[in-house]
Amino acid sequence: MFIIRRFRKRAGLAFLLGATLLAGTSGWGAAQAAGADDRSKPVQGGTLIYLEQQAHTNLYPPAGGFYPNGGILNQITDKLTYQNPKTLEIEPWIAESWTVNADATEYTFKIRKGVTFSDGTPLDAAAVAKNYDTFGRGNRELKLPISEVINNYDRSEVIDPHTVKFYFKKPSPGFLQGTSVIGSGLVSLKTLALPYEALGDATKIIGSGPFVVARETLGRELTLKARPDYNWGPAKLKHQGRAYLDEIRYIVTPEDSVRIGALLAGQADIIRQIQAYDEKQVEDEGYLIYAPSTRGVNNSVVFRPDNPLVADVRVRRALLHATNTDEIVSTLFSTNYPKATSIIAKTALGYVDLSSKLAYDIEKAKRLLDEAGWKPGMNGWRQKDGRMLELSAYESLPQPQNKETLQLIAQQWEKIGVKLNVLTADSGSAAVNNLDPAKAPVSPAMVGRADPDVIKSQYYPTNRNVLLQKGGNSDKVQAFADERLNTLLDQLASEPDRVKRLAIAGEVQNYVIDQAYAIPVFEEPQAFAAAPYVKDVSFEAVGRPSFYSTWLAPRR
Amino acid sequence: MSRYVIGRIGQAALVLWAAFTISFVLLQALPGDAILIKFLNPELGLGPEQIAEIRASYAADSPLPVQYFHTVANFLTGHFGYSIHAGVPVGELILANLPPTLWLATLGLLLSVVLAVTLAALSALSPLGWLRYFIQSIPSFFISTPVFWLGILLIQVFSFQLKLIPVINPGPWEALILPVLTLAVPISAPLAQILMRNIDHVLTEPFVAVARAKGASHRWVLWKHVAKNAFLPTLTIGGILFGELLAGAVVTEAVFGLNGLGGLTQRSVNDQDIAVLQAIVVFSAAAFVLINLTVDLLYPVFDPRLRVRQGAVA
Repeated sequence: MFIIRRFRKRAGLAFLLGATLLAGTSGWGAAQAAGADDRSKPVQGGTLIYLEQQAHTNLYPPAGGFYPNGGILNQITDKLTYQNPKTLEIEPWIAESWTVNADATEYTFKIRKGVTFSDGTPLDAAAVAKNYDTFGRGNRELKLPISEVINNYDRSEVIDPHTVKFYFKKPSPGFLQGTSVIGSGLVSLKTLALPYEALGDATKIIGSGPFVVARETLGRELTLKARPDYNWGPAKLKHQGRAYLDEIRYIVTPEDSVRIGALLAGQADIIRQIQAYDEKQVEDEGYLIYAPSTRGVNNSVVFRPDNPLVADVRVRRALLHATNTDEIVSTLFSTNYPKATSIIAKTALGYVDLSSKLAYDIEKAKRLLDEAGWKPGMNGWRQKDGRMLELSAYESLPQPQNKETLQLIAQQWEKIGVKLNVLTADSGSAAVNNLDPAKAPVSPAMVGRADPDVIKSQYYPTNRNVLLQKGGNSDKVQAFADERLNTLLDQLASEPDRVKRLAIAGEVQNYVIDQAYAIPVFEEPQAFAAAPYVKDVSFEAVGRPSFYSTWLAPRR
Repeated sequence: MSRYVIGRIGQAALVLWAAFTISFVLLQALPGDAILIKFLNPELGLGPEQIAEIRASYAADSPLPVQYFHTVANFLTGHFGYSIHAGVPVGELILANLPPTLWLATLGLLLSVVLAVTLAALSALSPLGWLRYFIQSIPSFFISTPVFWLGILLIQVFSFQLKLIPVINPGPWEALILPVLTLAVPISAPLAQILMRNIDHVLTEPFVAVARAKGASHRWVLWKHVAKNAFLPTLTIGGILFGELLAGAVVTEAVFGLNGLGGLTQRSVNDQDIAVLQAIVVFSAAAFVLINLTVDLLYPVFDPRLRVRQGAVA
């Protein structure tokens, strides 16, 4: 299920009872139904108070991956297409229709008429072309980087005021989905003319979305106001026209207990980021937990095979089988964090179930280490040629309870005589050391995006390069490169045929697990908590909230 | 007098320059830099070529002396540069964060003085030995109270349980009550301690015995003779406590989700946002120098003995 809502048992029972009565007694039921209808009919107006854990950073749309940024950009910008979060199908939004040539090198979009940015300028083919030229090629002069979701971009062509065509150097089958993500939010030409450094000021981000930035106190508070003339929401949504809410106020509240306390005390309506151990407290009060999946690469630990300690596939496999993900999920997390069964989430496109290859088997793990020549030494730790099997990993702050997760993994690995040091460092040292396979042979990793391209983003040497292959972002790597993996990833990003592409996605998943490059741990959700009177909160495909259809029922 | 003031200003300029240079060297010596931290953030997912391009556009890899003189020149002309992390000009960031911290620090200092004087007065006036002892041990309790814990406790009790003051969306004054209290408690402790010790010390001086012998009451002696003398060292500590206020503000601002220099400093340290940090260091050093200068100039106002000596110098 996309959104996991768990009401208080009593509320569920009352609902059930109501439904039975409705079905049973027709005349009386009709009157009741009208009442129920009134209650479920969206109310217009009101201010939604949203507590955010971190301040937003740069709001250049391709930087929208950062959750605090995405939570804002998703309300103020529209996208060419809309990815239905339930079916993952691509549906019309600002583009009414589109055509793609057979090898996915040319895309033509028909742009909806009458759409304007909040500064009054038209959102037409020329504006769309300028947006994609910037996102696809970057702008060196203004320091605007290239968007990670657009591969092989060549150029745009404005065919008529409402038709735009994009050309690609190589097949780019992920592009259509790429037009639906937050990183492809369309902004006014005025915004695109600003240098990168000026885009941290939200008031400079001019979109065509249902909300407009009204005012901002940097690092503290941001207010969005509904656009009364908004009339171009995704075509297949039930709700059309302006947003129901009048205002959204984002208030940065870094302290977990203050966010939760404020929500329960009625001072806020919805909060982002709630840890698994706090969920029960919130649900017991009748509040709702929303935990939309991020549908991308699962929360995992990856190996850096350039480090000789983990260069042997048998060692990596041993560690994979020594990792008890059931224990991690049940000890540290909740049912909102499903155990991983592949390197990507079950709800991700192209997923294949690899749970049989991921089984926890401590005897097999020990046997594999024995075979690889790592024998238990005097002190219990495995040794080979006088060297101890001792690995290190740096904690990743954005991931939920990452330190605790790594520490639990360290305890599990200890059972087969392998030492894992869990290190914490300032961001600078962590960033530098994490690029060095000698210092960080193990690393936590995850990324969200609802297209198989996400696997390439994660593993390809010139993208995120989590395995630290040679030719990527690290100059500390001696030799490691996996040509077979890279060839598969290249094919994945450029295979125009959907069926073949998903087959390649399956092949990549099998390959990464067979090589034990990664140990998938759990499917990472984004956890939000909201008051019961906040209705129809929806989430885009990778878990950023959309408040377009949200409304506030009268409080009890 | 004017020579004295010019000398002090020269000293101040030297302190500012040293603070700037030392912080520049230290920040550069840290592993990694803001660009690396920001753009390696996996949520941005930039490739190495793009990162190299961005580095070049910020001239992040030019030689250190070049960067140093460039930064000095910019500071002297009032250009503080851009925050790499937040994506806004540093001047704007400082302007947005300075007023709330000034309010918080000023009110926090005032309240801590009130608390300290109250405690010292209660202790000096208390007729019972055990009560005196109890009051004198309160500062130790205050200073060992973690600010973080105190802040959360105050929020839980006054905001969430009693619902007296909202934490989210409070009015301008409501917003300050709990944070100021949180900040004042640990700051008041050293003030109270020094005040109490000085009162005890001055009470043993011969001139107090003389005043008593002339028939002055305990209260009169305290107010007319002891308080004035005990106040001076406290003033010195007050100047130094400014640094502590900024440190306390880091925690207070985080707990209450306030905008301010403390929080900005903490974030910038974390992201190695050097442009912001340099501006904060120079700004704090300037404030520190200014406050201590004021304290020095205030001495003669409170103590006639110093006034005479200074007259002799000038």
